[in-house]
Amino acid sequence: MDRLNQLAGQLSPSSKQALLQKNPDDVVIVGAYRTAMTKGGRGGFKDVGSDWILTKFLEAFLKKTGVDPTLIEDVAVGNVLNRAAGASEHRGACLAAGIPNSAAFYAVNRQCSSGLMAVSDIANKIKCGEIDCGIGAGVESMSANYGPQSIPKVDPELQENEQMAKCLIPMGITNENVAEKYSIPRAKQDAFAAESYRKAEHAVSLGLFKSEILPIEAYTREDDDDDDEGSGEIKKSIVDTDEGPRKGVTAESLGKLRPAFKPDGVTHAGNASQVSDGAAAVLLMRRSLAEKHGYPIQGKFVMCSSVGVPPEIMGIGPAVAIPSVLKKTGLTVSDVDVFEVNEAFAAQCLYSAETCNIPSDKLNINGGAIALGHPLGCTGARQYATILPLLKKGQIGLTSMCIGTGMGAASILIRE
Amino acid sequence: MLSFRTRGYNGYGVKYSPFFDNKLAVATAANYGLVGNGKLFILGIDNAGNIHQENSWETQDGLFDVAWSELNENQVVVASGDGLVKMFDLKVGQFPVMNFKEHQREVFSVSWNLVDKVNFVTLSWDGTIKVWSPNRQDSLVTLSPDHAAQSSSSVDAVAAAGGRNLAPPMSHKNQQPGVSTAHCIYNASFSPHSPLTIISCSGASHVNVWDIRAPKPLQLDFVAHGGLECLSCDWNKYKPTIIATGGTDKSVRVWDLRMIALIDLPTPNSLLPAYHTRGPTPLNEFLGHDFAVRKVTWSPHSGKELMSVSYDMTARVWIDQSDERARFLNNATSGCRGVMRNHREFVIGCDYSLWGDPGWAATTGWDEMVYVWDSKRLQR
Repeated sequence: MDRLNQLAGQLSPSSKQALLQKNPDDVVIVGAYRTAMTKGGRGGFKDVGSDWILTKFLEAFLKKTGVDPTLIEDVAVGNVLNRAAGASEHRGACLAAGIPNSAAFYAVNRQCSSGLMAVSDIANKIKCGEIDCGIGAGVESMSANYGPQSIPKVDPELQENEQMAKCLIPMGITNENVAEKYSIPRAKQDAFAAESYRKAEHAVSLGLFKSEILPIEAYTREDDDDDDEGSGEIKKSIVDTDEGPRKGVTAESLGKLRPAFKPDGVTHAGNASQVSDGAAAVLLMRRSLAEKHGYPIQGKFVMCSSVGVPPEIMGIGPAVAIPSVLKKTGLTVSDVDVFEVNEAFAAQCLYSAETCNIPSDKLNINGGAIALGHPLGCTGARQYATILPLLKKGQIGLTSMCIGTGMGAASILIRE
Repeated sequence: MLSFRTRGYNGYGVKYSPFFDNKLAVATAANYGLVGNGKLFILGIDNAGNIHQENSWETQDGLFDVAWSELNENQVVVASGDGLVKMFDLKVGQFPVMNFKEHQREVFSVSWNLVDKVNFVTLSWDGTIKVWSPNRQDSLVTLSPDHAAQSSSSVDAVAAAGGRNLAPPMSHKNQQPGVSTAHCIYNASFSPHSPLTIISCSGASHVNVWDIRAPKPLQLDFVAHGGLECLSCDWNKYKPTIIATGGTDKSVRVWDLRMIALIDLPTPNSLLPAYHTRGPTPLNEFLGHDFAVRKVTWSPHSGKELMSVSYDMTARVWIDQSDERARFLNNATSGCRGVMRNHREFVIGCDYSLWGDPGWAATTGWDEMVYVWDSKRLQR
């Protein structure tokens, strides 16, 4: 009955309707792309640093989007492991890639959400009128920088402090805490991880990621090992395929793996995110500028929300951040068509999805970080490259992740 | 406060006669207007303050609005849910004297031309606005906001330039799942200052200003309530460029049409003028209703007073001091003048008394009640 529905619509007007409006001062996404995610220490990017990946990737990104580089006013690059979050070498990478030195640059580090923070910061700068066009990006070389050197240095006296100690807990242990506190059995986690592998492998075999991946050049050293660095022959290659997904992973095969963090634990190499290298970037503009120059608009950035949670169970971050961003935008879970929630670990992702009542058929449709990899600083921007092709025009997407030391972030975008 | 119960029928529209200070017409619908008959009541107020029924007619479908003829004191036009517009004559019992049959869906509002008095405007959820003469079976003019926006010169230029984005600027058409109300027009009325100018408002949040003489009648088009439905609009009776709108965002907004950019200004590159990046800003905004604002009406006695009724079961009277002299004043006489809380259901229709003591008003709603009350005596 039309009259009744109409009345119902007037009594509880949905925010979705207002968000779907196109206004000239909207922040729009003109392009979101990524590199292939390669295996840390063994993959296609193992011998090139984050500076190389970013330089080659931004070159390809500028070419792909066709944006006039002089329009770019600011570039934010998320990174977690480089010294000083890559503030110097990534500025260099921007310039080397062809972004004029008139564009500003800054490094962002909010752990695993750094890529999303870069996107959201640039969007907010556009929103408040500080700039008209910018790039939010993320890059990580876990091959080069992941290891003992990434353990923070804390004053010995403070190490005894309870709160400080909580922030130093290894991520794997925080996931054991989540699994234990919320009673998430290992079998369920393994099934979730196997499903991630199946979806990712399916997507790779059908070439579904081709539209979001920009192939870039890299080199590797043959027979390279730590004792005799540089002895090997240099081999150039084009990296264009995700290396993480593998065939035939089942819950049973994952069930045989040994726990990685504690003997009676549930977290292991197969149900945690992979150590990877990669980069991703999102080109953001004010709608009026994009329309003036005729750039194709892929989507609209709506809002990002960051929240804090107890550090010892940092994996529940999305379970707090997702309701927060939905409340701020006035949307409900059912308004969102696709969710990309980072799979740092199966247990934390499962808990977050179940707490928020996210239907499994809308979650990480082409697999997540368990199969694809989680290059820390890159992931937040990578999710934008992945979610846009999954959305149809007018659909709403949500990206989210947990953040080490106890945080969560979530953002909303609309495909146009 | 005087009252009358429209037993078995839920009130939708109420209007004071423009000829008699004690006569009211009330449009009602059975079953809250969702399905079933309608009934038109003609009510009289006697000297003792009692309201009695003078006349009534039943109709096949619910009645959503009513307007008195400005020419003939006995004639009333009603808007019916089956797409018909019916004219009744108080001297002719039982049947309507005219049926105007062109609208395809629910006719939601009817309003008489107050200046040249020879025609009236109706609109419907079929997305059209029609102007009629009471003497003619066929409509004089049909206006269609969707069509006008599609064919306006600026959009043609954009289509030719890039072939992209054919939809009217800032429309949410075809993007909303389920029932789309984007095409529905909810309210339209002739200017009390010009016999040829009409304003209308729609479910797509757009307010349109029309000149029915012009080959391209659409003169102005803007988004009034941030994308949420705009349910009502009315002309200020004293200031020719001032209008008020109400919408599902719960606000009442006052606009000066001179401050809104013309539709012809956008360039082929940008659908909106470059400086116009945040959409028009209202001259004034009244917040207070807890649910959608269903109708707004300016007082016939003051250019500063207006009344709004809402699904929150209240009618509110507001003082708008956004005129030139008061722009920089901040005194206690502006804002909400009072809240009328007697209704026990959605309040749908309201009208100010023209010939009575200034401030008297009538409201009707889903509680089957018509209240006649003095807005000057309201509690804040």
